Amino acid sequence: MIQLFHLSKKFGSNIALNNIDLRICKGEFVFVTGPSGAGKTTLLRLIFGAEKPDTGHILINAINLNRIGRSNLDLLRRKIGFIFQDFKLLPNKTVFENVAIALEVTGLRPKVVRKKTHQILRLVGLAEKEKTCPLSLSGGEQQRVAIARAIVKEPLILLADEPTGNLDPDLTREIMALFKGIHQRGTTVVIATHSRELLEGTDCRTIMLNRGKICGETW
Amino acid sequence: MVIGLRFYFLRQTLLNIRRNLTVHILSLGTIVACLLILGAFLLLFGNVNNWLQQWGRALSMSVYLKDGTTAYQRDKVDSFIRSLPGAQIRRFISKEEAMDELKASLGEEAGFLEHLTHNPLPASYEVIFEDAQTEEIHPEKIRVQLEAFDGVEDVQHSRQWLKRIEGFLDIVRLLGYIIGGLLCLCVVFIITNTIKLTIYSRRDEIEILKLVGATDWFVRLPFLLEGTIHGILGGGMSILALFLGYLAFSSKEVYLIGPAPLEFVFLPVEYLILVFSLSIFLGVIGSFIAIGRFF
Repeated sequence: MIQLFHLSKKFGSNIALNNIDLRICKGEFVFVTGPSGAGKTTLLRLIFGAEKPDTGHILINAINLNRIGRSNLDLLRRKIGFIFQDFKLLPNKTVFENVAIALEVTGLRPKVVRKKTHQILRLVGLAEKEKTCPLSLSGGEQQRVAIARAIVKEPLILLADEPTGNLDPDLTREIMALFKGIHQRGTTVVIATHSRELLEGTDCRTIMLNRGKICGETW
Repeated sequence: MVIGLRFYFLRQTLLNIRRNLTVHILSLGTIVACLLILGAFLLLFGNVNNWLQQWGRALSMSVYLKDGTTAYQRDKVDSFIRSLPGAQIRRFISKEEAMDELKASLGEEAGFLEHLTHNPLPASYEVIFEDAQTEEIHPEKIRVQLEAFDGVEDVQHSRQWLKRIEGFLDIVRLLGYIIGGLLCLCVVFIITNTIKLTIYSRRDEIEILKLVGATDWFVRLPFLLEGTIHGILGGGMSILALFLGYLAFSSKEVYLIGPAPLEFVFLPVEYLILVFSLSIFLGVIGSFIAIGRFF
């Protein structure tokens, strides 16, 4: 599903990732952890195609991102859901519109877009707030809108960057339950987090990053 | 799928316009003004051209006689004119008739003519040529032939004026191309900047669209549509304004050449289609330039 070969990325003189080799299989639930600046976000952004590696190769479903054209990358992104650390919601659009945008780009009929968006908002518990604008929502609710937008297109891979960063323990459990539910439907889930609480007692694969290198892994 | 996208693009375009309504109204107003100037130029130029063509078709000639021309000399001139193909002597104006007509045209101001000791106006023939387009009629050659007759002082024909005006019109046409080109550039510049402002105001949304898998064309199309709508509205409104202006002015009679009022006609359909298509073309070009700088 996701294969990384000798992957390196620098920003100026800062080495963000240094010779990473990694393989994540279809249907896996993986945590990527490490301290701030370890390269977690860069790793996710490279897998998403938002950044290009300086060296190395990324294969998603056997498609090499180095050799993919811009339009094909756009199409590939429709199969990958990304939950951003800062949510990246549009403040002047309603919750419904923020989620529906992910389906509209695929050219689905408005009727289908409406149906699927309603369904996913019910799943994340935001059916009552679909006409509300994101700025009127709490942090947890905004996070759920971002999750809804990432999963509404039923992606093969879900990448989440610090999805519980600013949430209290109750909301964290709620959000993690959502991820588990998505994973059970067959989606490969990769979560970048530095939260120890999130990793405690987990039986999922955890990859530890430090200074751009994989320094450990637990199963 | 296609129907869904069509609705999406149209909705996005209208939303873009609504969000930046003031900018769009100002921009549309300037586009209408530019196209209106262009249309007014075409309207005036087209009408002047028509008038000249009408004038060119009706070749007229004035043959002025010297004072003291004998009846014999006059007869010779008379017979020569009648022998010319298509020529008709409209009338002979004697010195006295010429003076009476001058007095009549001057009206109350004709008093000063009473002080003249003799009548300085020459007698003349007014000649018109029917079907003046034929190759057989060479007004310059006829003028030279007539001036060779004893008793003929001067010959003037309408084509002399026409040539001078046509030369002037060539300069006006050239100026029209230059001004028209500058106005078109102005329209493109305005549309480009308006679309750029819209793109800038939607940059967050564009970023997110790209992140959720929108293709470049999916993002570009609403902006292209926006430019096209500008072109359609700008073209339509400028033609409407031009027509209203035409209605206001066409009620006035224009006397430029000859005693008959000149017919002031509106732009022909081909010109209207040209202005409208040009406006849409400029709208599309303007938005293409704008999106080319961002994507």
